[in-house]
Amino acid sequence: MRNTAADKQPIFNRRNLFGATAAGLAASSLAACATSGSDDEGGEVTVGEDAENPFGVDPKAPLDVVIFDGGFGNEYAVAHQEIYKRAFPDAEITHLATQAIAETQQPRFAEGKPADVLDNSGAQQIPMDALVGDGELAELTPLLDAPSYDDPELTVRDTLREGVLEAGTFNGKVFALNYVFNAWTIWYDAKLFRDQGWTPPTTWDEMIALCPTIKAAGIAPWTYAGQHPVYLYDMFLMLAGRHGGVQVLKDIDNLKAGAWEHESVALAAEAMHSIGASGFLLEGSAGIDHIQSQTAFNNNEAAFLPCGSWLPNEQKAIAPADFEYAPMGVPALAGSVQPGLISAGGDEPFVVPKNATNLAGAYEYLRIMLSKEGSQIFGDTVQAATVVKGVALDNEAAKMTDALVSNPDDMFQPQFRYWYTKMNEEVRPALGQLINAESTPEEFLQRMQAVADETAADDTIEKFTHED
Amino acid sequence: MKHGRYPFILSFLALPVGLYAWLVILPFAQAFQISLTDWSGSSNSFEYIGFDNYANLFKDERLVLPALRHTGIILVVLPLVTIALGLFFAFMLNLGGRVRRGRIEGVRGARFHKVVYFFPQVLSVAIIGILWKQVYAPENFGGLITGALTAVGLPAPVNGFLADTRFVLAAVIGVLVWSAVGFYLVFFSSAMASIPRDLYEAAVIDGAGRGPMFFRITLPLLWDSVQTAWIYLSIVALDVFVLIYMMTPERGGPDAASEVVGGVIWKYAFNHGEQAFASALGVVLFFAALSLAVVSLRFGRRERIEF
Repeated sequence: MRNTAADKQPIFNRRNLFGATAAGLAASSLAACATSGSDDEGGEVTVGEDAENPFGVDPKAPLDVVIFDGGFGNEYAVAHQEIYKRAFPDAEITHLATQAIAETQQPRFAEGKPADVLDNSGAQQIPMDALVGDGELAELTPLLDAPSYDDPELTVRDTLREGVLEAGTFNGKVFALNYVFNAWTIWYDAKLFRDQGWTPPTTWDEMIALCPTIKAAGIAPWTYAGQHPVYLYDMFLMLAGRHGGVQVLKDIDNLKAGAWEHESVALAAEAMHSIGASGFLLEGSAGIDHIQSQTAFNNNEAAFLPCGSWLPNEQKAIAPADFEYAPMGVPALAGSVQPGLISAGGDEPFVVPKNATNLAGAYEYLRIMLSKEGSQIFGDTVQAATVVKGVALDNEAAKMTDALVSNPDDMFQPQFRYWYTKMNEEVRPALGQLINAESTPEEFLQRMQAVADETAADDTIEKFTHED
Repeated sequence: MKHGRYPFILSFLALPVGLYAWLVILPFAQAFQISLTDWSGSSNSFEYIGFDNYANLFKDERLVLPALRHTGIILVVLPLVTIALGLFFAFMLNLGGRVRRGRIEGVRGARFHKVVYFFPQVLSVAIIGILWKQVYAPENFGGLITGALTAVGLPAPVNGFLADTRFVLAAVIGVLVWSAVGFYLVFFSSAMASIPRDLYEAAVIDGAGRGPMFFRITLPLLWDSVQTAWIYLSIVALDVFVLIYMMTPERGGPDAASEVVGGVIWKYAFNHGEQAFASALGVVLFFAALSLAVVSLRFGRRERIEF
């Protein structure tokens, strides 16, 4: 909802109806030309000396914030805006919370009048590769180099957990602040495992050996959100990365020739295939969505579920009271050289459009989000960790996840899905076919290598690479 | 009287025509312009690249070609099945019953049936999508059809109909037919009502059965309505999007088994950030719809019988 004063005035009283209509027609017929927007060059923002207001925010300038109104809601954003208001009481803040990010915000980019702060998240996010490729986003370097909100001695960058900027980094430049800390793990019910006397497997072979026992107890070993095979993405890639080391995954992201033909990738594909081929999937998994798979998991119909860190909090009110959400890394294949590798880092990308009217205010808003108070607000309202160090969370699953991500060298977020929409569109159905044994591992690898080669050969696609 | 008539009419037309030009014709024209560029949709800079988008359309074996194939299938099957069922039901409801005191009647409870058949038309497409998604669901997730099949000992797809590449398109077409047939039943019924009864009564006296009556009298006299229905349904077939979006895995899956042109346009425009490519596909769809209408009006023309 937009909370501007203009909305509260009656626009259509009799006297101004005609005038408003005529003006509206004139204004929107200009706007209707989607391609007619002006190309204002936004001003540059530099970091000044003043630790209170390092970006030189104009205290009267309005701020336009757009929040993805998904699993995290938008309550936390309203609280952040109150902090902003505290510093700049004269600033008018427009707050829009919506799930339709692309539908509402893409036209504004096209017009050259984007929001100041945009939480570009959810199923309807505007593709990051397109935004970065078009040069529509402002680099976040000034923000990262600015003194932090709480301690002028530290820069904002110093206050962040390690490895969390990776996801928003494109060719070495940070274009998105991924605000929420997330790790992709395999979840299981610790109570169920304790009651049944099962040990959570750490290796793939242990897991495969345990599956018949699980089945004998009348429980399917695995389930996943079949309608959204993207939930398998990190599980599959971590299997490969753990076996061959992180470089295998970097090669895939960097579109290196033959990256998908690497032995570790092939073994991971075979492992995924074996789950479906051995009948270790809950019947019907391919036909259900994430809510159904999570419900089945909560009811102990399946023992393992691949998902992100947000899951236990999201299921808190839904899962049975004695259900103990516990995360583990994907069981590593025999001979894994980096068995601790985990897909973890920032999620929920906040971006600042280059043509934002109040660029300085946008940086300041993000700085507030990254303050101790700001991130604690987020932690308290949604029980999820932010990318800021040292925010205390009072739940067991979060502590267990923290133990899994303790080594920064083992944290890596595969990126090709975000860098190349085309590969994203290919890997999802391909993984779905693979785990259901509808396609063979060889077909899967050929298919992915083909789309990687195609992407690499296409000059119209902007390429990104990992540093080092 | 004639004095000042045109300004008067024009003053009435200006607003609707203006609105139409601004909200319909201008966006159409813009789609043509955009389709010749490399515009992503989230920027105000673009370059003209000629007809590259059109050339690339027909090389896209991931989304566009399957979508064209599937839309083609829907375009043939949907009007055919819907009109056949609509005509059959309408005929049965109007003339399928017994002959009583020299008058032909519909089957028992015809009025009741008409109302019931019309129900799906009243539901919004979103509700239909959610409803049928559940009907088609896997057995152990409450799927009606899969459950019924297993109950009588027949094989059913383990993952439900929508997650199976073999059945998903047929399943969606089934829903389209289900939701459209009621309207065409009523549509054909009212058209049949305008056919003079004495034609049928003469036929009955001549000893004609239900079959010849339908093919020799009803169908020829309904030809105009059938043709109209055909064009409407073809347009519906080309526009299929919401059901695919609501019901199928990955909105066109599994693995592109139910991609349709409308859905692919949406995917390119909003998921891929390739607005220009999407516009090119939109332009192709526009011409397909246009030529379809022209062709069916041209070749469908028959002698009109006055009664």
